[in-house]
Amino acid sequence: MAKRPPITNRVKELRAEHGDMSQAALAEAIGVTRQTVIAIEQGRYSPSLESAFRISRVFGVGLEDVFGWEGEETETAS
Amino acid sequence: MSFREKSAWAMIAILALAGLYYYQKIIAISLAAGEAAPPIIPLVIAYVVFIIIASIIVMPIVAATSGKEANAPADEREELILNKAGNWSGYALGFAAVAGLFNYSWTHDGNLLFHIVFAGLMLSQIAEYGFQIWFYRRGV
Repeated sequence: MAKRPPITNRVKELRAEHGDMSQAALAEAIGVTRQTVIAIEQGRYSPSLESAFRISRVFGVGLEDVFGWEGEETETAS
Repeated sequence: MSFREKSAWAMIAILALAGLYYYQKIIAISLAAGEAAPPIIPLVIAYVVFIIIASIIVMPIVAATSGKEANAPADEREELILNKAGNWSGYALGFAAVAGLFNYSWTHDGNLLFHIVFAGLMLSQIAEYGFQIWFYRRGV
């Protein structure tokens, strides 16, 4: 199995907080496929810096409110 | 299952069928002759034409079952998967080429060299789609 990237994320949580945004809607908003959003949420894929910024902008939060380093606390969105 | 994963499965099936047909013929001719059959270019052309026609028939069916996803260009993760699978499959082709060369240096059988390298090409194409499926499922 491919080595899991040591990056955590709160994408699923943030989708739920934003009116249960669907994976397909988020995928369309950031310009990737739904499968890629699923892979990001499951920690199987670390998005590019550009996509990471796009995700954080969709949710109106900072990059570190969405992504964190494994073993470190991810900041919660205010 | 994503459109590209379905496409990869379809291509594996098409390539495997074409490869089996090609080598079944080559093995039969070789057994009858008692030595490796010479390269049969019409058979190689038939192999390529079969793959093209089968792809033209099968791919629209796969696309029709995948909705608008089929028309979307590959995104960053898919690009990475395609590149990595292509890179890994290159090793399979390289291995076959080296195996063929070693075999030739011992047997001096150019016909066998042709078949080993051509088989390597077929297998590396199948491996490329196999690696794509692996990376789609296991992460890249």
